[in-house]
Amino acid sequence: MIENRPWLTAVRHLVLILGIIVIGLPIWIALVASTNTSASFVSGVMPMWFGEEGLNNFRRVLTNEGRVLGVGVSASWMMWNSFIMAMVIAIGKITISILSAFAIVYFRFPFRRTCFWMIFITLMLPVEVRILPTYEVVASLGMLNSYAGLTIPLIASATATFLFRQFFLSIPDSLAEAARIDGAGPMKFFKDILLPLSVNNIAALFVILFIYGWNQYLWPLLITTDENYYTIVMVIKRLMTAGEGNVPWNIIMTTTVLAMLPPVVVVLVMQKFFVRGLVEQEK
Amino acid sequence: MHDNVVFNNKVLPYFLLAPQLVITLVFFIWPAGQALYQSFLIEDAFGFSREFVWLDNFIYLFSDDEYWNSIRVTFVFSGLVAFSGMAVALLLAAMADRVIKGATTYKTLLIWPYAVAPVVAAVIWWLMFNPSIGILAFLSWTLGHQWNHYVNANEAMAVVVIASAWKQISYNFIFFLAGMQAIPRSLIEAAAIDGSGPFKRFWQIVFPLLSPIAFFLLVVNVVYAFFETFGVIHATTLGGPGNATRTLVYKVYEDGFVGLDMGSSAAQSVILMILVITLTIIQFKFIERKVQY
Amino acid sequence: MATVSLRNIKKTYSNGFKAIHNLNLEIEDGEMIVLVGPSGCGKSTSLRMVAGLEATSEGDLYIGDKRVNDLEPSERDIAMVFQNYALYPHMSVARNMGYGLKNQGLPRDEIRRKVEKAARVLEIEHLLDNKPKQLSGGQRQRVAMGRAIVRNPKVFLFDEPLSNLDAKLRVQMRIEIKRLQQEFATTAIYVTHDQVEAMTLADRLVVMNGGKVEQVGPPLDLYEKPETQFVAGFLGSPGMNFMPARIQGQALLVQGDHRIDLPDMAELAQWDGRDITFGVRPEHLEACSEAEADFHLKVDIIEPLGADTLLYGHLPGSDSLMIAEQPGKRRYTRGDVVPLRVDRERLHLFDAETEQRLNE
Ligand SMILES: Nc1ncnc2c1ncn2[C@@H]1O[C@H](COP(=O)(O)OP(=O)(O)OP(=O)(O)O)[C@@H](O)[C@H]1O
Ligand SMILES: [Mg+2]
Repeated sequence: MIENRPWLTAVRHLVLILGIIVIGLPIWIALVASTNTSASFVSGVMPMWFGEEGLNNFRRVLTNEGRVLGVGVSASWMMWNSFIMAMVIAIGKITISILSAFAIVYFRFPFRRTCFWMIFITLMLPVEVRILPTYEVVASLGMLNSYAGLTIPLIASATATFLFRQFFLSIPDSLAEAARIDGAGPMKFFKDILLPLSVNNIAALFVILFIYGWNQYLWPLLITTDENYYTIVMVIKRLMTAGEGNVPWNIIMTTTVLAMLPPVVVVLVMQKFFVRGLVEQEK
Repeated sequence: MHDNVVFNNKVLPYFLLAPQLVITLVFFIWPAGQALYQSFLIEDAFGFSREFVWLDNFIYLFSDDEYWNSIRVTFVFSGLVAFSGMAVALLLAAMADRVIKGATTYKTLLIWPYAVAPVVAAVIWWLMFNPSIGILAFLSWTLGHQWNHYVNANEAMAVVVIASAWKQISYNFIFFLAGMQAIPRSLIEAAAIDGSGPFKRFWQIVFPLLSPIAFFLLVVNVVYAFFETFGVIHATTLGGPGNATRTLVYKVYEDGFVGLDMGSSAAQSVILMILVITLTIIQFKFIERKVQY
Repeated sequence: MATVSLRNIKKTYSNGFKAIHNLNLEIEDGEMIVLVGPSGCGKSTSLRMVAGLEATSEGDLYIGDKRVNDLEPSERDIAMVFQNYALYPHMSVARNMGYGLKNQGLPRDEIRRKVEKAARVLEIEHLLDNKPKQLSGGQRQRVAMGRAIVRNPKVFLFDEPLSNLDAKLRVQMRIEIKRLQQEFATTAIYVTHDQVEAMTLADRLVVMNGGKVEQVGPPLDLYEKPETQFVAGFLGSPGMNFMPARIQGQALLVQGDHRIDLPDMAELAQWDGRDITFGVRPEHLEACSEAEADFHLKVDIIEPLGADTLLYGHLPGSDSLMIAEQPGKRRYTRGDVVPLRVDRERLHLFDAETEQRLNE
């Protein structure tokens, strides 16, 4: 502390607490709403304090009791779909990126630059800007309404490849040389040395990519018409338009809480990795 | 001198790269080429006839007021999202940088919105602003204003901006805080010895040193607002009222999947791609100054 | 144990840079060869070619009587100690040392036994379960050495292994390396640009410059009879004094007018009137009486080192620097003019153009 000005410190804490309240307000609203009856949202101001319906709401949503979600599958099933999507995308992206980065950094081969640039291009083209043609490709490959279709097109990742590449470049050359002298071939070097050294980066990327996968909206919306492949995030919108006039806010917010829960838990549990992983991106 | 470290295998690297390259080719390059090709065609909605029309789709787009409206909306929206998200984050980071007690708790409580999907954020804010029951609409009413984002274009824009920016605050906060904590203490101490107070110090020393990070975040936030906020619009305003929140990405979707106007949608995709490529190159110039390629 | 032969080795990097021009070197069994030279002269490149980390562009490389050009590093039966140690950060000391053996498929208890034995020799037994991060620089150095000796290789390769250590530790480890190398009687190639290290460790010294070998031989031979002006200047600290000179009859005219009578040399006649470079080491300039003086040194800077005193100065009427090393007991002050005499047995004459040695 350079100087001690009690009022300044007080202001700091005040601003931070205010910030936390503003930032936390939406989650408060969602949690409160998920414990109230739908009747409390018909007129007057929405409830600001917890009701009695919490358990009931969550049970109904998780089991889709009485088709409360307006679709044929339960929230638990859709969370499972989201989970599969998030896991496959996260693990898939990490796997193919670390392998590509390994190839680019530790081998010399014709067209190395071309490959590098091809991967680089994927960074430039988020799904959102080429929705229709990508949809057509996936459709023509017969991948609509499948886990493969939900995940594989999103798996190529320039960002992760770059992160690993940067990290590998920061590992001294002599480590690979020592391994060569110790009789380790490339895959052995990868498995025995590179992979264990990358665990922190992998963990950080996992958090980021898990969230990315879980929060996908447009893509599942496009390629799933079979309810069995709906994800929890995309179903919320359906609920909003389902009951015209009388929107079941308590059910929507219960679903919302369920949709937020896993990624928020992942972020909070792995906070340290996640923060470092993010900041690395900028380096 | 990374040139030295080379495993000599000739085939292995191609195997290692294959999955990434195949996916890139099939799901990125091919569709992008497709989009480019289709942008030169006009097709009827059933795909029975198609005609090669050169740049007609583009010319049509740029003579269409609705498209210009979308461009305007997108820029206003992105500008507001980037600016408000970064301003709040900067303020919070500046406050959190120096607190000692409770620093970790503050940090934890400020970063979790990163995990929330934009569409989820949008739905919650939509509820809070709901004209008949929303708590914030009610607050506005007590202040003498009748909030209704179903009819008021500015209010609809405000809700989608707030929801989108809210989610980005934590991301910006993490970067600003990391940036501030990387500033050598001695620099700030030197300024303190020169007698400048905390506010002056912030604007004269901390802020200029943060400007590279601020620039990076600006690009990231603009890209986010452009492309990742589809869900925000789609779950709430649906581009309305009127065309007040119809952003470019939302329009591509609508024209392509709802309007089934392939040529126009493809042309819009192409324009968007050019836009992203420009933004990414700017970003990369910044991030990868060290890239040897 | 093995001999190492480098025959007509050349190296051109992929960017077209010729790092090694033509290297020929026969290393005997159990010999310790030290490569020295200024930065960028190709020492590491040569060593790395022996290790197999760098391909040779031309020439043949033998370890023992096997041509190894096309063998992988691990098949050459060598071990290498790197400047930055290159320990695997996530492995314990024991696993670091045993990794090579493990890759050879040795059973675990045998690896353990060998690792422990090597650790005992290096006195790092108590560190076997630590991670490299928990070790001091000197200890890491020992582990790196340990990793090399466990494998009982035919050749040790060292690339500036001590340059990351502080001065005191460097001396200690230098002695340790010498001890180990003698104990194991293993052929070794050692790269350094520290000439004290080079002189003390080498059985034979190889001085390199610009991708070429300047001279090979036992350290003292090189010190006493440098074949080229480069070697003369490179070895010895402070460096040799060089001055332009000309032969005139039986005498040497240094910088135009300082006359030095030369001992009887048969070759002198053939160099009469030729431009040469005259060299003398600072320690071979003795303070003497006025009458005997070859030079008068005007002292600018004095560095008393205790045992010796270094005098930096110039000859009156000239501005070229000259250094003389004198016994420490006599005191000097700045501005003194010291009469000096050149040790006639230890002066060096080089051709001014080819920089090759002229006198015997
Ligand atoms: N991979 C490479 N590509 C191109 N040139 C190289 C490469 N590696 C080394 N060189 C060049 O080859 C020359 C010799 O390099 P080398 O590493 O052998 O020098 P060195 O004698 O070990 O020097 P130092 O004492 O600095 O370690 C240098 O000029 C260097 O720039
Ligand atoms: Mg070197």
